[in-house]
Amino acid sequence: MKKLISLLLLFTFGLSSCEKDDICDANTPTTPRLVMTFYDISSPTKTKNVTNLKVIGDGMEEGIVFNESLAEDDSLRYVTSGSTVSIPLKVNDTTATFKFIYSSLSTTAINTDVIKFNYNTQNVYVSRACGFKTIFQLKNILPFVHTDPDGDTFWMTEVDLENPNIESENETHIKVYF
Amino acid sequence: MKHTLKFISSLSLLFSMFLGYAQDVPEISKNLKDTVATKKPKTETVKTAKPEIQEAQALKDSVVKTDRYGLRVGVDLYKLTRGLYDKDYKGVEFVGDWRLTKKYFLAAELGYEDKTTEDDRLTSSANGTYIKAGFDYNFYQNWLDMENLITIGMRGGFSSFAQELHSYKIYNPNPYWGELPPIATDNKYSGLTATWIEVALGLKAQVVKNVFVGFGVQLKLLTSNKEPNNFENLYIPGFNRTYDGSFGIGFNYTVSYFIPIYKKKTMASETVKKEEPKKKK
Repeated sequence: MKKLISLLLLFTFGLSSCEKDDICDANTPTTPRLVMTFYDISSPTKTKNVTNLKVIGDGMEEGIVFNESLAEDDSLRYVTSGSTVSIPLKVNDTTATFKFIYSSLSTTAINTDVIKFNYNTQNVYVSRACGFKTIFQLKNILPFVHTDPDGDTFWMTEVDLENPNIESENETHIKVYF
Repeated sequence: MKHTLKFISSLSLLFSMFLGYAQDVPEISKNLKDTVATKKPKTETVKTAKPEIQEAQALKDSVVKTDRYGLRVGVDLYKLTRGLYDKDYKGVEFVGDWRLTKKYFLAAELGYEDKTTEDDRLTSSANGTYIKAGFDYNFYQNWLDMENLITIGMRGGFSSFAQELHSYKIYNPNPYWGELPPIATDNKYSGLTATWIEVALGLKAQVVKNVFVGFGVQLKLLTSNKEPNNFENLYIPGFNRTYDGSFGIGFNYTVSYFIPIYKKKTMASETVKKEEPKKKK
């Protein structure tokens, strides 16, 4: 009888401990962003840092947040000076257009290039807690369109497709030389 | 659901404790009787011991038990009544057992469940039939001709079912373009199967002649699970909700009717024990 009671107790405790699958773990790979890495055009194997790059989606007012910790009215919140940027594509569309504003905080050296990405989406099951994620595949024909609406020369000298399958953020999908 | 389960299991825990004591007490008093019967004749007068032996002999004559063997069939009231107050659930389970020996019973359950589950990011339903078969071992020592049971048993379970995904949300940690509403679908995943084993703890009390009320909890372990493509078995009829691991839990509250088929006479265990001190003298 004692054995039975302890078994039952074990049973109840065991159950309450294995209940925590209701919250989606932040480390679970879910919908990935498109990863762009910047390289030096004069020595193409080396990555190169951009200067105050701001990325704004077409039709959006604010840029993509690169410095989460800064205040919302701080202009540095929306710029990056690293060698890589991660761009969230639209999960409910097959195209997404972004303005890439180089040295956006300056008034003279500012230069805007526009890239439109063409892709297919696929919704993939993750788990009970996380639901589904969307993965992207850049199209074979015209994976992206690089334009310069201001007519002030491209700041991106060359844009190369590295990996059309956007399934994780651990790899570079687009290489940019400048 | 989680709280209901916790409530139920703690309730059953509580009840099993009461029953545990109800069972233990007669054993203690019995042992006391034995020691009194064996020790007293040696140290004190024989007179006091004699009535004790006669009592034992009298007991021996009256405690010839007849065990009834037969088929017990019933229904799970928990599943039946849940359909009345939970619009997302419909289910029925029939239970049956056949007494093999004094303590062993062949047992089986047959059921159907249709359950809709609303998680934070998914709404899905599962429906299908299941069968469980195995044995129960009754470790409850009944008084005289009582026929109550406290059992521990094993079952093998099999379920054949279908799932349907009604709506889902895309998890996007970077909602730059805004949060999206849930996406409605009607994806059906049929031809799914699962097998599992379970340890079943049960209690059955005879409330009216041949009518038993019982409840049980089952701890389950998935052994095979045919998952759909690009989805997961979130609920398996008979197994219930699936967790990250392969464990599960079940509960039932049954009312069953015993159909006696034949009888066997057995000597009650008390009389066998009483004879031992007699031989020593």
